[in-house]
Amino acid sequence: MNASENIFQEKSSAIFVVEKIIFWLFRIATYIVLIFSAYILLTITFKGIGSVVKLSPPFIDVPFLTKSPETLHIFQFEGKPMQLGDTEYRHFAATHTVNDPNESTVAHSAGGIFPCIVGTVLLVVGSMVIALVLGVSSAIYLSEYGGSGRIVEALRLAILNLAGVPSIVFGLFGFAMFVIYFKWNVSLLAGWFTLAFMVMPVIITAAEESLRAVPQGFREGSLALGATKWQTIRSNVLPYAMPGILTSSILGIARVAGETAPIMFTAAFVKTDQLPWQGLEHVQDFFFRGVMALPYHIYVVSSKIPQNEYTERMQYGSAFVFLLVVASIALTSMILRTRLRKAYKW
Amino acid sequence: MSEALTKPQGFRFLGLDFDAAIKYFFGGNAFVAVAVLALITIFLFKEGFGFIAQNRRNLQVYRQAGLEYVDIMRARIDSHTKLGRQINGARLNLFKDLQKQGKSLDEINALLAPLDEFSGKFSDAAEGLRGLVSDYGDVAVGIKQRASEIQDRLEEKEMLIANGRANDAEKVVVPLVDFPGARKVILDTAPQYTELCGTMRTTLIGLINMPNPGYEMIPLEVRSRFKSDTLAFLDYLDQGKSELTAWNPDKPVGYFDGLVSFLTHPEWLTASFWQDWYGVIPLFVGSLFVSVIALLLAVPLGVSAAIYVNQIAGNREASYIKPAIEFIAAFPSVVLGFFGVAILGETIRAISGWHCLSWISFFPIAERLNATTAGILLGLMAVPTIFSLAEDAINNVPVHFKEASFALGASKLQTLVKIIIPAALSGIIAAVLLGFGRVIGETMVVLLCAGNRIQIPDFTEGLGAFFQPVHTMTGIIAQEMGEVPSGSIHYRALFMVAILLFLLALGINFLAQRIVRRFKISIG
Repeated sequence: MNASENIFQEKSSAIFVVEKIIFWLFRIATYIVLIFSAYILLTITFKGIGSVVKLSPPFIDVPFLTKSPETLHIFQFEGKPMQLGDTEYRHFAATHTVNDPNESTVAHSAGGIFPCIVGTVLLVVGSMVIALVLGVSSAIYLSEYGGSGRIVEALRLAILNLAGVPSIVFGLFGFAMFVIYFKWNVSLLAGWFTLAFMVMPVIITAAEESLRAVPQGFREGSLALGATKWQTIRSNVLPYAMPGILTSSILGIARVAGETAPIMFTAAFVKTDQLPWQGLEHVQDFFFRGVMALPYHIYVVSSKIPQNEYTERMQYGSAFVFLLVVASIALTSMILRTRLRKAYKW
Repeated sequence: MSEALTKPQGFRFLGLDFDAAIKYFFGGNAFVAVAVLALITIFLFKEGFGFIAQNRRNLQVYRQAGLEYVDIMRARIDSHTKLGRQINGARLNLFKDLQKQGKSLDEINALLAPLDEFSGKFSDAAEGLRGLVSDYGDVAVGIKQRASEIQDRLEEKEMLIANGRANDAEKVVVPLVDFPGARKVILDTAPQYTELCGTMRTTLIGLINMPNPGYEMIPLEVRSRFKSDTLAFLDYLDQGKSELTAWNPDKPVGYFDGLVSFLTHPEWLTASFWQDWYGVIPLFVGSLFVSVIALLLAVPLGVSAAIYVNQIAGNREASYIKPAIEFIAAFPSVVLGFFGVAILGETIRAISGWHCLSWISFFPIAERLNATTAGILLGLMAVPTIFSLAEDAINNVPVHFKEASFALGASKLQTLVKIIIPAALSGIIAAVLLGFGRVIGETMVVLLCAGNRIQIPDFTEGLGAFFQPVHTMTGIIAQEMGEVPSGSIHYRALFMVAILLFLLALGINFLAQRIVRRFKISIG
């Protein structure tokens, strides 16, 4: 036996070869996922960014972000191919004689997505207010006042299970309860409540978890100093649970903004002529009118109109804007979570 | 002194002091939240249970109007048509062979003329039966329509009574339908059917037994199968006689038949001129099929990634990969669906058309939107769920397990396979279950990418079934809910589908929690 041989050195036996191969398989699987998702992200970005960004000042395609979706007219005029949105087309046709036998139109493909953005923002803000007030209060009650009796335990389990219920089921419920039973029709209000109740189980569960993660000693110390229960919660529990509640609510925003199924028949219209605040007879009409929403608009433009060069601008443009918005909300929540986790440690 | 302590101080609201008011505020909110979440269940079940009674009535009319009777005969026609398809299949193969030999279309048609003649004769043999079914089918539909008019009137009457307008209600005339009298015409067809059975038997036996140039063109093995199938069909035809005599229009439809039909009938057929069927099977199978495809992709990828990040990758690499995979969860499903419609479906079809893949029998595929297109995207959506939970489970395996294994001389792979994965298995299984729950409840991707054809995939095609369009439970709700009148049977049927989804989701969650809880102890 050679004395200089290192007996601890890994021998290149079959076992190690197999190990290498298998570890490489794991690595490949991981990167397949990453590459495929990066491919989706980049494709939609590259094809969609053209609708939003321009190479000349002001660098942003303002009409796409400020106009309503319109029907696109495609025709030949004096030998030149023309593509015009409905409004422009009418102006054009009023002054010129358009005479093209092959003239064709594609719905939803011209104009911009302003009403959709407005609708989505309204839906998200309203539903998050409802969901946060009810959800965080419920979590505080369950964690601080509820104790751990059988009923509270059962409630907790029920809420946890509801978090896994498909969003379309919530949509159907919202339709039956708010749209039909309460006779709110397809409206902003119905959408708010449907989305709020969809996201509430998630918020309650997450908020309660962060409340329970605050060490019991914090509460006991405060109570021992003579603080009341509410003073204790306000000064010694909520501040430490806040990061958790915050991240879970931002994640809730991403979920509410990204869902389509619950608003399909509770709040979203394929097309409205007016923005939510235009043409109101009474102030309350604002709440009882459907809105356009970005995710539903994407559904409409990807299923109801053909895929071709004329429709791409609208399709990829809306998908890109939507992806950008939802992904940045989610990204904020992820960054916030890591930051706050470092800041609050006990 | 004691007075100062007990004296009410400061803020009072409804006789409560501040702390109690706060408590009731939170309690009240919690109550509202819980009450609404309970309402979800109540609303779903209220609407859904109405379906059972409505569907029972639907089935009752089906039976009493004699549609069921006509359907017994119709089943024979369908079976005959299926036999005809065997001939057509053989013709197609012959056609392809002849084309390969470089023959022109006219030549081929001339050569195949005897076969076409045989095929025509075979098809004509059922002409009489077809006429019978078509004529008396119309009669049955007529009876059914009258029954539905009556139902409408009854509902109008009930509505008026409910609104307290009894006088108006009395004015509503509810016509009576004489079911037995009306369907007698249909029942009288039994002798005609028997007669047709006789003639069909003679014709068909004649066709397959006598020397016939067209028949002999069919390759021998197909022919022998065709022959035995035809004989089986004739027995089936004769069996119809006894089925028709045994058929009893007054056989009661049990209360739960409405539910049983929902759970077992293999068709979801709405707005049909003949009979509407609300059978969840094709949708359930579609959902399950798409989910299985998704999990076949997501489980190996998600679990591998979890193992890789937690056990194999360096800290730096892991700290990049982990958030990146979690970020996938932020992709809105409608955007993924759009990606499927715009790019993925077309890509899959293009790949299936590659020459080097032409040896696969079902390639190139016909539909760009099919179970696989939806399955791939759903798989991607399930990866973050499976990854995060599985990674957590692996992370929770105590370090000293690993250290003990290394100390005994096990290699990294041995430790992984024999120690870490078994210890984390319960968590990994729970992760897969929750991933399944996520996938089966997903709506937009399947609505956009699964092809939306309501049929059970033809699993006899083997792997080809993966590329057939399907419809799903979530998809059908999203697609049809906006178009049905509220309160109708169709509307309620969609609620039944939602109840099924609801129960499925609860079941999956419950199971996952049970598994985690049960096997947690085994680690310690």
